[in-house]
Amino acid sequence: MEREGFCVGHAPEQPMTLDRRRFLKSSLAGAAAAGWWLNVPSLARAKGREELIRMTERPPNFESVRSTFTTRITPIERFYLRNHFDIPTVEVASWRLKIRGLVEKPLSLSLPDLQRMPQATVEAVLQCAGNGRALFTPHVPGVQWRFGAMGSAEWTGVRLKDVLALARPKQDAAFVQVQGAERPTMDTTPQFIRAIPLAKALHADTLVALKMNGEPLVPNRGRPARLIVPGWVGDDWVRALVDVEVRSDEPKTFYYDTAYRFPAAPGAPGAAIPADQMKPMTKVNVKSLLGSLSDGDVLRPGIQQLTGVAFSGEAGIDRVELSFDGGKSWTPAQLEGPAMPYGFRVFRHAWKAAEGSHEIACRATDTTGATQPEAPVWNPGGYLHNAIDRVRVQVRS
Amino acid sequence: MNRPLIAAVLLVGAVAWAANESTALDEKTKALVEGQLPEDPARPLVQGKCLLCHTSEYVTQQRLTEGQWQRTVEKMRKFGTPASDEEAKTMVAYLARNWTPDLPPPRPVRAPLPPGSVPSK
Repeated sequence: MEREGFCVGHAPEQPMTLDRRRFLKSSLAGAAAAGWWLNVPSLARAKGREELIRMTERPPNFESVRSTFTTRITPIERFYLRNHFDIPTVEVASWRLKIRGLVEKPLSLSLPDLQRMPQATVEAVLQCAGNGRALFTPHVPGVQWRFGAMGSAEWTGVRLKDVLALARPKQDAAFVQVQGAERPTMDTTPQFIRAIPLAKALHADTLVALKMNGEPLVPNRGRPARLIVPGWVGDDWVRALVDVEVRSDEPKTFYYDTAYRFPAAPGAPGAAIPADQMKPMTKVNVKSLLGSLSDGDVLRPGIQQLTGVAFSGEAGIDRVELSFDGGKSWTPAQLEGPAMPYGFRVFRHAWKAAEGSHEIACRATDTTGATQPEAPVWNPGGYLHNAIDRVRVQVRS
Repeated sequence: MNRPLIAAVLLVGAVAWAANESTALDEKTKALVEGQLPEDPARPLVQGKCLLCHTSEYVTQQRLTEGQWQRTVEKMRKFGTPASDEEAKTMVAYLARNWTPDLPPPRPVRAPLPPGSVPSK
């Protein structure tokens, strides 16, 4: 079912590997031939590296392919795309960010206003709460994301706390409600409105970002400004942010009060959960994904370099372990860099592959001791799937 | 016509019918897995009511029970799709008959991101 791997021995019709493309680019660097070679689709299928899996065409929902997840930063051209509604057309010159509600001084800020303020950069994973929904049993309705509704980027912009400081929240401020420029096709459909507690809004790493991976935001990524809520689910990371309302209470709107809720205590798979036992989702849970292999890949015997990523909301990754015997024994993978909150930590392992069928499992543990379960916590929305990742491959000479 | 001959004709007929049925089933499953909306009197309803706000993959990637389809259609009516009780019933029956929990998963479709997703070089 999962056939988007880019490694040794895959079917000839599949796109070439990123590494191979990079190699070609560097080995032919400077030669006019390089551009020509890479731009001939029949030869290079170079565009293949920019292809994702289209979940829905309208509104556009695309998930990244597994091979995306071998680097700390996810390139924008391979980054997933998730929308509830059609992507809004925003005129940057007339765009304003309004700060209102329980504030001493309501504000209306333009893009130059934000650009003139001190800028900060945070590296953080953006993950759709429904990433992995397709992997739940029994099935739940919604976009059937498997593993690619996530990515890590370097986000640059203004600290939300600096913006709020200009507006001066009043004594009873407790929540910050946020909304972007997108609107549903029908007026009767609930608008996409979210809220975060004031403490998270005032955290130094919560940003109104103007850039992604050093590039000004493009329309589908939230031009001109989007919210960055590091470690928290993607629903809060509102794009084309236009409205910030400081409130004393939580909004009663559909996408906060009804949807995007998670059971306070786990129940039996498939069981209905009373509304009063559902809480708004906040932090993303610990997760790891093997990026260098996909189900059904055929490898040659010998040393195979396995690579993947791990992350855990506001915590860092302490260890990633791999199992080649159905979870009986676990081998620690090598981790890149230090344990940091929010972002991907890349793991690697040199696997001595012997002939036969293999199932490779990977499991991350974060700096708080939280680890990935055998089975996800079933919930009616299909949110926060973080069961141990498993990939099945064949090794033959 | 003697009895063995009748039996033989019936047997051949039954085998042909069974083969045809199983082929038909495979073709139908294949079409569903590939994201098609099967021909049905309810099809134009789904096209007219559901595809106002989204494309058909929102329907064809689901694998749901009748109860889940019922709740989904009710949610969409609350969101504003203009369907009468009778139309909703017809749609739920069509959806629940085709996109069942045991239908194999949808075939992944690779495609480039829409314009406006990537900074121009």
